Amino acid sequence: MTEHGAEVFHAISHPARRRMLDLLAGGELAVSSIAEGFAMSRPAVSQHLRVLLHAGLVTERRSGRERRYRLVPDRLVVVRDWIAHYERFWDDHLEQLRDHLSSEGAS
Amino acid sequence: MTGGTGSIRREIFLPHSPEHVWRALTDSERLAEWLMPNDFEPRIGHRFTFRTQPNPRAGFDGVVHCEVVECSPPSRLAYSWAAGPLDSRVSYRLEPEAEGTRLFLEHSGFDPAGPEDVWRGAEYGWTKMLGALEGVVGESAARA
Repeated sequence: MTEHGAEVFHAISHPARRRMLDLLAGGELAVSSIAEGFAMSRPAVSQHLRVLLHAGLVTERRSGRERRYRLVPDRLVVVRDWIAHYERFWDDHLEQLRDHLSSEGAS
Repeated sequence: MTGGTGSIRREIFLPHSPEHVWRALTDSERLAEWLMPNDFEPRIGHRFTFRTQPNPRAGFDGVVHCEVVECSPPSRLAYSWAAGPLDSRVSYRLEPEAEGTRLFLEHSGFDPAGPEDVWRGAEYGWTKMLGALEGVVGESAARA
């Protein structure tokens, strides 16, 4: 698992996995509870959870016959940091565009 | 804050004609003045880079790898934007307004398009996800 989050971006690139993370933000859930929210097979749900596990976005534990998943929120910080960076980036550069156009003179 | 689907969206009114704004978006030297040094050319399929400061902690070597995917002067321009672990797309739309141009920018890929039909119920946006994240991170920090 890299420091820089390539697996995290891959993991969140699928809307079903983002939905699973959103569900887990409310607390630990069993696979069966997670699967209720999706129109897909249980193996497909499990495969998505494995991608999230590989990215370090969730942890897994066995409770009896069930597997239960918990969100690792710190791993999403890398995404939030990239978004925050680009929000500032575009605000700064669009202002520079405005200044550049003005300094060029009449349109 | 990001839009409901995890894109960054901005709009700005510029008191210049769409053709003038288009030139600033598509002329390599002008583009370098307000964005970053580049070897951009306004044709679909052209691959180019922007060069800026590296950020090793973020896994970014200072090079943004791009490919023009849409180019319809003077209204629509889009290119892919790959920087470090991020694979995204930047789109510009120019609309004439009054004596100038309204420029719409969207930076998407924090939330790229995917199969929507696996969902039941409403779309969950990143604003909600990140809002929940703030609370969860706060709680786990407090418990630590």
